[in-house]
Amino acid sequence: MVEFSISNARYTYVHDQKYPSENADMHHIILRRSGSKYIFVYASALLVLACAIYLYFLEEKSISLVYYSLLFDIFLVKLLLRKPVNKESVVIMPAFGVQLETHYMSGKVVRCFVPIDKILKPVLLECVTPVTCYWTLSLIVREESEMVLVFKNLRPPIKMLVHVWKALCAATDNKEETCTHAK
Amino acid sequence: MGANDDDPRKHRILMVSDFFYPNFGGVENHIYYLSQCLLNLGHKVVVATHAYGNRSGVRYMTGGLKVYYVPWRPFVMQNTFPTIYGLLPIIRTILIRERITVVHGHQAFSTFCHEALMHARTMGYKVVFTDHSLYGFADVGSIHMNKVLQFTLADVTQAICVSHTSKENTVLRSGLPPEKVFVIPNAVDTSMFTPAVDRPKRSEQIVIVVISRLVYRKGVDLLVEVIPEVCRIHPNVRFIVGGDGAKRVRLEEMREKHSLQDRVEMLGAVPHAQVRSVLIRGHIFLNSSLTEAFCIAILEAASCGLLTVSTRVGGVPEVLPDDMVVLAEPDPSDMVYAIKKAIYMLPKIDPQDMHNRMRELYDWNDVAKRTEIVYDRALKCSNQKLLERLSRYLCCGAWAGKLFCLVMIVGYLFWQLLELWQPADDIEEVPDFTLPQNCDEEILENTQ
Repeated sequence: MVEFSISNARYTYVHDQKYPSENADMHHIILRRSGSKYIFVYASALLVLACAIYLYFLEEKSISLVYYSLLFDIFLVKLLLRKPVNKESVVIMPAFGVQLETHYMSGKVVRCFVPIDKILKPVLLECVTPVTCYWTLSLIVREESEMVLVFKNLRPPIKMLVHVWKALCAATDNKEETCTHAK
Repeated sequence: MGANDDDPRKHRILMVSDFFYPNFGGVENHIYYLSQCLLNLGHKVVVATHAYGNRSGVRYMTGGLKVYYVPWRPFVMQNTFPTIYGLLPIIRTILIRERITVVHGHQAFSTFCHEALMHARTMGYKVVFTDHSLYGFADVGSIHMNKVLQFTLADVTQAICVSHTSKENTVLRSGLPPEKVFVIPNAVDTSMFTPAVDRPKRSEQIVIVVISRLVYRKGVDLLVEVIPEVCRIHPNVRFIVGGDGAKRVRLEEMREKHSLQDRVEMLGAVPHAQVRSVLIRGHIFLNSSLTEAFCIAILEAASCGLLTVSTRVGGVPEVLPDDMVVLAEPDPSDMVYAIKKAIYMLPKIDPQDMHNRMRELYDWNDVAKRTEIVYDRALKCSNQKLLERLSRYLCCGAWAGKLFCLVMIVGYLFWQLLELWQPADDIEEVPDFTLPQNCDEEILENTQ
């Protein structure tokens, strides 16, 4: 089994060439768990609860403050630590299509299949939000107005995305770009 | 890799403004043409502006000009909602990923520009500002805007104005030392504005063209007095009025009152692509603006071979040579006299000769080369620490100075926080695309 991988602080990219006959090609992006985020969120939730309890017992505010703070804590934890994603994979089968998988920490896997003849082109795009700008890999799909994001939850760096993009281009039989790129 | 990486003399410029395509106007045109000419000179140019409706994200224009339409909504007169520190993360991201060396802001009345320049200075980048308009000193709006301008320009590296009058105005409003201000006039695309091959004969009818936004600033009230008088004195003169705006109603009323429907033609809003076709129908171009830092409209008219009659306001006297323009005070009788003088001068005018002279005088490539000199000068300026820069803000006023210092200090702290939260190394740099020369032609061939 041949494996090629790149990693940085947050993500690890693994290219699984399990089937060298090119019937299937797998690319995985694995998120590195960072304990600090959990500690931060639980610590702030605890702080909020502690403040509410202090206010109730010592300053004699009403008990509803404690209930509200508990609700707020649950909301905060749900928002920041919701449905943690462990890994996202792309399985490229040149004869059939491309399967996009999302593996969650709980063991649940969500899969999405795109037939090969529906894919017009895989593209690397820059997405701009009000606070940042990042690269994404998307598939332009025939007869659909929306593009299909390959990595729906994770934001791996461009140097990892380029390998997946090249593999997708080769599989969908697209010519390389006529305009030259730097790398 | 573009030529950029090898040549340290080539700059990587970020143009920031609220005003860019698909919106249309003088500032937008200026940024676009300047960017294209700078790209031709081998520099890298990126434009950042706010999103226009659905147009949001990264777009590429001719020549590989990259435009970031940042999804912040405009709130009044095309300006982004001012949040002081809201733009810091996205501007920082753009500056790092594009490896920018100089930030160039346009137009004093642009909140996006002011905020971006402030953040660029906080992060230590060299900053150049271009002012395109003249503003007053007396009314409440102007006073507040001048204060904001004072803040932004207190620490700008270099400034550019489009005329000497504009330089005087900017220096007085902002308290900037005059040595820091360069004067680089606008230019005109003379290849697009060429004279007509065959023109209507002067002996039959003389046609006077007016194309402008029909608003108070552009002197429409003067036109309402001048047009009937000219039509009365010169029976062979016709007017063509292009443009739209709040004051259009007054012109329509004037037409009705003096029964000039057959002598005054109202075209409504004229798209910029059709301006030339309207201009070549005339012999004289009339500009009645009450204030103008520079006037590109008269350049376009002169390039098409029209003789210009204009009000002597702002930077207008600096634009054309004396034999191509007749100036008048912004007073109806003086303007009527000027039109009479222009009609008398008409036989001596050769449109093609005028066009050739304009080609020599005004060229966007020349503007780009002069701007390059400003960038070179800006990069030679020393890097200053925060404390040294704060002293410049303190001079802005008794209370204002202290407030500005506070704003800069809080901005600096935000920046340091961002550096910890999202280190610069995490932001990937974008590879430079070099489009081959014939890329556009190939795409056209494939689609046909």
